[in-house]
Amino acid sequence: MARRREFRILGMTPGEIVKGFFSSDVGKVATAFFLVMVVISIYALVTLPPNFGKVWNNPDYWRLNPPYALPSWVNAFIGNVYAPQVIINNHNYVFSSSYSGDTEYITVYFTVDYHYKKPWNEIYVILNNPVVYTSQPPIMEITITRPDNSKITIGPLPLRSKVVSIGTTTQAVSQLSQFYQEYYQAGNLITGTSSVTPYIFYNVTNGKAMPLIGTYKFQITIYVFSSNTSSAVTSNELEFVFQGNAYGLMGTDFEGRDLWLGLLAGFPIDLAVGLLSAIIVVVISVFVGIISAFFGGVTDEFLTRITDFVILLPAFPLLIVFSVLFGWSIWDAVIFLALVSWGASARIIRVMVMQIRTAQYIESAIIAGASRWWILRNHVLPQVIPYTLYLLVTNVPAAILTLSAINFLGLAGSELPTWGNILYYAEEFGALTSGYWWWVIPPGLLIAFVAVVFIITAIALEPVINPRLRYG
Amino acid sequence: MSLSKTLTLRMANLLILLLVVLFMVSYALSGPASKILMQEVQQEARAIVINMMRSGHVNATQVQVIYNNIVNQLSKAYGLDQPPLIRTFYIMYNMLIFNWGYSYFPQEYGIAGGKVVDIIMSAFPGTILLDTFGILLSAFIGIEIGLKSALRYGSQFDRTIMYYAALSNGIPQWWLGIVMLLVFSFYLSVIRSPIQFPTGGILSPNYYAMWLVNPIKVFTIPQAIVDLLWHLTLPLITVLVINIGGWAYFARTVVLNISQEDFVTFAKIKGLPENQVVNRYILRPAAPTILTSIFITLPFIIFGGFLVTEMVFRWWGLGYVYNIAIVQSPTPDMPVVVALTYASTLLYIIIVFLMEILYIILDPRLRER
Repeated sequence: MARRREFRILGMTPGEIVKGFFSSDVGKVATAFFLVMVVISIYALVTLPPNFGKVWNNPDYWRLNPPYALPSWVNAFIGNVYAPQVIINNHNYVFSSSYSGDTEYITVYFTVDYHYKKPWNEIYVILNNPVVYTSQPPIMEITITRPDNSKITIGPLPLRSKVVSIGTTTQAVSQLSQFYQEYYQAGNLITGTSSVTPYIFYNVTNGKAMPLIGTYKFQITIYVFSSNTSSAVTSNELEFVFQGNAYGLMGTDFEGRDLWLGLLAGFPIDLAVGLLSAIIVVVISVFVGIISAFFGGVTDEFLTRITDFVILLPAFPLLIVFSVLFGWSIWDAVIFLALVSWGASARIIRVMVMQIRTAQYIESAIIAGASRWWILRNHVLPQVIPYTLYLLVTNVPAAILTLSAINFLGLAGSELPTWGNILYYAEEFGALTSGYWWWVIPPGLLIAFVAVVFIITAIALEPVINPRLRYG
Repeated sequence: MSLSKTLTLRMANLLILLLVVLFMVSYALSGPASKILMQEVQQEARAIVINMMRSGHVNATQVQVIYNNIVNQLSKAYGLDQPPLIRTFYIMYNMLIFNWGYSYFPQEYGIAGGKVVDIIMSAFPGTILLDTFGILLSAFIGIEIGLKSALRYGSQFDRTIMYYAALSNGIPQWWLGIVMLLVFSFYLSVIRSPIQFPTGGILSPNYYAMWLVNPIKVFTIPQAIVDLLWHLTLPLITVLVINIGGWAYFARTVVLNISQEDFVTFAKIKGLPENQVVNRYILRPAAPTILTSIFITLPFIIFGGFLVTEMVFRWWGLGYVYNIAIVQSPTPDMPVVVALTYASTLLYIIIVFLMEILYIILDPRLRER
């Protein structure tokens, strides 16, 4: 007759453990947050390209974005002050092209609604076709019909490179100042030291440039010379970018990098940092703790000395000095951090195994002729292993916080967009003296969020781990 | 074991720790950093040789000989011709006798002469000030709160404290410092508030030079003390907000465990007044345990939190010097970084030792032979 074996961990069946964990509000909240975190990490891994670290550190990729731009949603609170980034491509414009001999005539028509106080800084024309590099580049002419039915014409402009900014061309400067002179007798408003694009969206009242609100109609003509069907410009090769003062969900940093993407990419990195470090810590501490407590004698004495020593080791200064000397990556730093921070956990495991070892059932087992290995497998490990989960959870926040601090110094991991690294650049580029709150608040909140999720998970696990609290 | 023997043993332990840390850093320095130093030597020699060639009195072979001579002599002077292990001990020896060399970028620190010892010694008082105030105040308040919380186990107050502790343990202290600066320094000045906190630093510019040279003199001027405390306000609040939670949590756990002991129940049954039960039967046995858990977290409190907080507030202490040496210098200021690691380990060991003495005073098992 087979005896029904009941599986119990720390005197509780798995069902009881789950129930114990979810019985408190903390357990439910922790689980919900944990799921949110995992889902966002997976989303980040799926949506961001695998080489995102390289993309992040490539200034060319971000140069059409405005630097230091606020998040767009700010406009909802302060009443449409900052024009957000606008991209006009073949989804938003009417494109037609015709041929006359070997010249292609392209006309593009689109409208832009302008109802902000600060207009766009610059308009970029992006023509993704090799004809821009030929000896006879395409010529572009822009006619803008403004809300008051006045017309501004800019051009002809040669498109000599893939990306052309309109506001800094001599044509735009002279034509706009001419327009301002004729219409408002205020040609001196335009100096041409910076982009003149904002003046497209102004009119003049009392000698001052004020925003002119309404719909702007853009009529653009492009002549492509010595064109044939193989080099013809098609509608998906042409794009217009209106560089705004506000950008996306989270704004941009000093290089115009989209902070939303950077923050998103930080999720999987931070989780990996915390978990990797905690796993190494737990493996070492279980190993050391069990050997130390189980073999006793000289081994115990020696391992306890080492444990005490590791506990006292100042990990942070060492991490700084080695990161500087060896130019460590974030993973090197994580492994080093784990190697110098297992002390406290090992001490706990050792005490735990010591208590188990002196229990009476172990004595009975020894008398019954059980081998050490058998006792370890059947009595010690089943009690220690569940506890390691708790240790794992408690070790994650410290690793995340320490690594963030190291990244905040610009060490160990400048190749990745970690939250600490974003804060490093924020501090470097005067976020504090200029009040770039959108650059400073979210990364710190996210670090705190991930750390707190692990902390409250540990709190929810506590009644399961500590029987005293269970019935208290 | 007698008291003095216990203390000597602990001191020896801590000294070994210091030596091991020093050895690790020196060994790392004698490896990769020696290559950097060698490159510098070669660059220097090349510059001299190029100057000689311009004057045109030497031919190519002579130039080569002179170049080799200069490189040899310079590397001998820097000890680069020695094997790495010997060089390691040479560096260790120099660290131990406080011969820490010169900073690569002395102008960044504003200390005349650029001697690393002077730079770091001038930074010690600031760190000690913030650490002592921060640790003692947060411990005092935190333990008090934790005790109250444990005695009202399960109440609304207890739960609030628990949530606060969990939250404060997860927030990076330096980031809270940044937010504090943003709110209480930047935005208060934007709205032209009459009360504006300083944007950082340890003192106003007019006392700053005095602090670098002779901090004790600052304490003789009442206005300077007020100024110092005014600058201390934001960093101290930051440190307190973050650290009180952790202490409260520790104290609560320990007190909860002890208050379930039989002798506490017995004391209550005896009809002793509440505060006597708390002070004699709960707090006294709890104190050593609280202190032990603090040993474990002390490195994290000081190095994880305080050093980086100093950087954010540009508080003239070891942390801020770290920041200058790593971030603000054109290239990492190696002599300063290495000496800082040694100096902060030294400071840490002194604090641990002081706590050990406190531990012995509080724990009768160790005090009475």
